[in-house]
Amino acid sequence: MKNIAWYALFTFPLLFIFTTVVIIPFVIGIAYSFIEWDGIPANPKVFVGFENYVALFSDQRFLASAGITVLFTLLSLIAVNVLGLLFSLMVTSGLKTSNSARTMLFMPNLIGGLILGYIWQFIFTDAFKMIGETTGWSGFFFNWLLDPQYALIALVVVFTWQMAGYTMVIYIAGIQGIPDDVLEAAWVDGANAWQRLTRIKFPLLMPSFTICLFLSLSGAFKIYDVNLSLTNGGPVNKTEMFAMNIFNEIFGYGHYGLGQAKAIVFFLIVALITLTQVILTKRREVQM
Amino acid sequence: MVKGKKLLVLLAVVAIIALVAACSGGNKGTANEGKLAKISIFQSKVEIAEQLEALAQQYTKETGNEVEVWGSVGDAYITQLQAKLTANQGPSIFSIGYGSEAETFKSYYYDLSNEPYVKDIAPNMALEIDGKVVGVPYGVEGFGLVYNKNLVNPADVRDLDSFTALLKSFKDQGKNGFSLSQEAYFLIGHILNTPFALQPDPQDFIEQLNSGKVKMAETKEFQEFARFLEAIREYAVNPMEITYDKQMGDFATGKTAIVHQGNWSYGMLADFGDLDFEYGMMPFPLMGNDKIAVGQASNWVINGKAKPEEIEAARAFLNWLFTSETGKNAIVNEFKFVPAMTTIKAENLDPLSQAVYDATQSGDTIPWAMNFFPQGIIVNDLAPAAQEFFLNPGMTGEQFLKKLDEVWANAVK
Repeated sequence: MKNIAWYALFTFPLLFIFTTVVIIPFVIGIAYSFIEWDGIPANPKVFVGFENYVALFSDQRFLASAGITVLFTLLSLIAVNVLGLLFSLMVTSGLKTSNSARTMLFMPNLIGGLILGYIWQFIFTDAFKMIGETTGWSGFFFNWLLDPQYALIALVVVFTWQMAGYTMVIYIAGIQGIPDDVLEAAWVDGANAWQRLTRIKFPLLMPSFTICLFLSLSGAFKIYDVNLSLTNGGPVNKTEMFAMNIFNEIFGYGHYGLGQAKAIVFFLIVALITLTQVILTKRREVQM
Repeated sequence: MVKGKKLLVLLAVVAIIALVAACSGGNKGTANEGKLAKISIFQSKVEIAEQLEALAQQYTKETGNEVEVWGSVGDAYITQLQAKLTANQGPSIFSIGYGSEAETFKSYYYDLSNEPYVKDIAPNMALEIDGKVVGVPYGVEGFGLVYNKNLVNPADVRDLDSFTALLKSFKDQGKNGFSLSQEAYFLIGHILNTPFALQPDPQDFIEQLNSGKVKMAETKEFQEFARFLEAIREYAVNPMEITYDKQMGDFATGKTAIVHQGNWSYGMLADFGDLDFEYGMMPFPLMGNDKIAVGQASNWVINGKAKPEEIEAARAFLNWLFTSETGKNAIVNEFKFVPAMTTIKAENLDPLSQAVYDATQSGDTIPWAMNFFPQGIIVNDLAPAAQEFFLNPGMTGEQFLKKLDEVWANAVK
């Protein structure tokens, strides 16, 4: 009995905060998705049932956002994990500069997304333009943020720059958890570096893969701060991701009900995809 | 040892709960002896941000009451304002435009009809909802083509052909003849006002546009407007590559001959010190138009849902602003507004404000039809359409007008 009291005391503050900040707004949000309202308390809330959900499937801008977000997620998923893995292998291979390299590769993650976006915005617009004009390589160095495709690539670059260090740290922990005798035994048996990498390190890194894939998948799907500061959805709303589309629907147009319905759909999609991914990769984890 | 540890944990938990409780306390406008509550100001004009903060500090020095100025954010102002107001964390004083913007927030205004300075507001300029005065206008503002007198002679720019010829000649010289800027209002918001304002009854035209009875693509003022935009796209620097700072900077350094701006931009030009040329404002020559667009941009309103002590302190501040010497001086000389109050004299106006003032006195003006646009349409819908036009050289003027009609219909749904 006494133990339960202690458990409750430990968990109560966190549970309280979680309920008020996450659970209650979520439930209220579900209720809001069935009404039509413009956000001013003095104006009426009109119950419209599932009309919002039907409307959002014919909203061209929303569907375009969904497509762009999926594309962005795929690209950044690959970029973040490949680079993170490469960095972690490099840093654990015993080079003299390992420690400082690890610190510097992780530092971009410490800078807030908003500031990161503004810095890179300057680089992609003014700095690139200047380099293009002085060196004449204007096929590559032009204002990336004015072209829809290049703006998307710019977003991938900034997101990768921010997240690669984070995944690197997780992979490092995973690599360092691999017992040396297994690797040594493999080396004695004649396995070359590539075989050691793919046959031994990767399967034993599966838990790290699970975590990193999950983090980068959900992070990329939900991206907003970098999106806002780098491109603000431009040019011509061509890099407007899911979260930004919902935000603009609610606060730009004042369609609270429709925006909330979009948010619920967004939640379902992200939950579905990430849960699927976790289940799939967890199955492939090898227990030592 | 275990008992000591548990005690420590207990203390930590209590500390966390206390922190949560304290953080939720928020800003309490407690009134001290003789001093009024602290108030906050949130307004949309980025051009006066610094001067307003300086004024707030002056007010505190003169009266001892505290004023906090929240940073203004340009295009995202309404979004932020709505978020703050609906969360009951709204500012004590904020700014609001006319027309649909004022309608949306009308449940938040405090009735100012009985304030001492209301009788001094110039006729028909105060913001009124349901017969009550709720807002005091910032001042009279106007926009048009701000031009460099060394480079441009207004007599040369009277219609589409002469305008295009001017742009072409500047491009041949390596200068920029005309500059818009990439921000929503400066890309399309202001310049689109002119074709609306030239309609015989702009408000009625907008209502017909909302209901789909007329189309911009079929109205001749807009058709010529589209040809103007085509000329700008072809012969001037692409506005998508120009920011507000760059636009004014290039004008001040003589790289750009004309910018589409208003008298508020004087503040930025003044930052560059003494310019070696004179500048003035001339009308945008659409369909031979020879009048600048004059209207009132924003109004000071008091948040009626704030605490009573805050409202009282806010009333005191506005009273001070419009009646004290420091306040009146700030309005004319620091903010550079053309005053809308009969008790504030407009003297020593900068050249742009002088042009606006003269136009107001003589009545040679066209109205600000954009005040009656559907709320938020400039930032949400017209700006992306204009961005598309300027980024896609293959889009013709007619296609652009069709696109405008399309987004307008979408926005009023």
